[in-house]
Amino acid sequence: MRVKLKSGRDQRKFIQRIEELSGENVFACYQCGRCSAGCPMAPEMDLLPNQIIRLVQMGLDEEVLRSRTLFLCASCFTCESRCPKGIDLARVMEAVRHVLDPKGKDAFGPGEISPELAQELPQQVLVSIFRKFAK
Amino acid sequence: MKIHYYPGCTLKQKMTALDISARKAMERLDVELVEPEGWSCCGAEYPLTEEKIVGLAAPIRVLRQVRDEGGDVLVTTCSFCFAVLKRANKAVQDDPLKHKRINAYLRDDIQIDPLTKERTTGFEDYNGEVKVLHLLEFLRDRVGYPKIRERLKRDLKGLAVAPYYGCRILRPRGEMAVDEPDSPRLFEEFLGAVGCSAVDYPFKQECCGSYVSVSLPAAATEASYRILRSAAMAGAKAVAVSCPLCFYNMDHRQEAIKEAFLDFPGLPVVFFTQLLAWALGVDKSLLGLGEHAVPADGLFTEIPLTEVRP
Repeated sequence: MRVKLKSGRDQRKFIQRIEELSGENVFACYQCGRCSAGCPMAPEMDLLPNQIIRLVQMGLDEEVLRSRTLFLCASCFTCESRCPKGIDLARVMEAVRHVLDPKGKDAFGPGEISPELAQELPQQVLVSIFRKFAK
Repeated sequence: MKIHYYPGCTLKQKMTALDISARKAMERLDVELVEPEGWSCCGAEYPLTEEKIVGLAAPIRVLRQVRDEGGDVLVTTCSFCFAVLKRANKAVQDDPLKHKRINAYLRDDIQIDPLTKERTTGFEDYNGEVKVLHLLEFLRDRVGYPKIRERLKRDLKGLAVAPYYGCRILRPRGEMAVDEPDSPRLFEEFLGAVGCSAVDYPFKQECCGSYVSVSLPAAATEASYRILRSAAMAGAKAVAVSCPLCFYNMDHRQEAIKEAFLDFPGLPVVFFTQLLAWALGVDKSLLGLGEHAVPADGLFTEIPLTEVRP
């Protein structure tokens, strides 16, 4: 994948904000790719989990923030249990979702579930998906 | 023995099979499950960013209530509730800032006495006094497998069951760790104790798709299919789960899985508590088998235990 590198205050601020929110050191990652190899949602993703963290390291906020990967992460922590550097990538994903435009549209909101489906779904899935993907 | 038990929202309405079978089974083991007064939803997801402190309020409120009722252990069966409660508990134990902030939020809670309607406020800080246990852990550590074996009433004849851990009870390894995340034995040992034979298969700790099953059903269908196919190929006659959402994704979604993957023959999914309750002699009508989309009745055939197990 080709990206145009940028370096400036915005980039540094983005990295700092992600580290602050997630509590993880994103620069610990050396791109071994075990997170992506084990990710159950990887087939659906436009950017693989290791690519997300690489883009965060480079401070490329726009590329990260428009990725659909953010809304595919199921927080199953498979990447966390396999990371040789001990990074909890699910926390990085959550931090990136956190810095998305707070006035923006919900990635997945209540309007997208039909009343029939809502009747059938277990409560825990409704609570968890809105906690993850709605503002 | 009376033990505090947190059923959680899903078990009270949609997946009552897990709740009722757990209660009935524990009765047979002389354990009474008591719900904390006025419990609320735990929040389903543990907040993963440092700034979302408010997500800790609901689980800590539940834990504080358990402590105030004199409990030192809280047992759950739903893996999501277990993860949220255990991680929130650990956060107040280990992180002084979170401890301070969450207790500042909760100090001014108003409690209304159900009988006298008297309003009281000013709670004592919660410092992580309660231990959160999954029912599988509780059975292993507090009840003990020898006691389960002693009380068995029915013979499951070594029914081949694939244990499915899912994501929440094993990971993150530093915080959850009911067992080794990459080679757990907890579920296998439990199945052995109730008279099943545990099937070993590579997908037992893979993710079923979790909440993505709502936003992108096809992804969860495929993730669940991989697990079920792997279990079936290893010779399992059923998959045992502990989480209502795993159950939903693998049982209720099986019609969609069959449509998408024509080679899949279907496989019943059961809650581990149903196997336990059945082996301990609980009546079939109390297992909640009507909630299954894939009929599981065939697994529960009446075979009384004739010989004493070693």
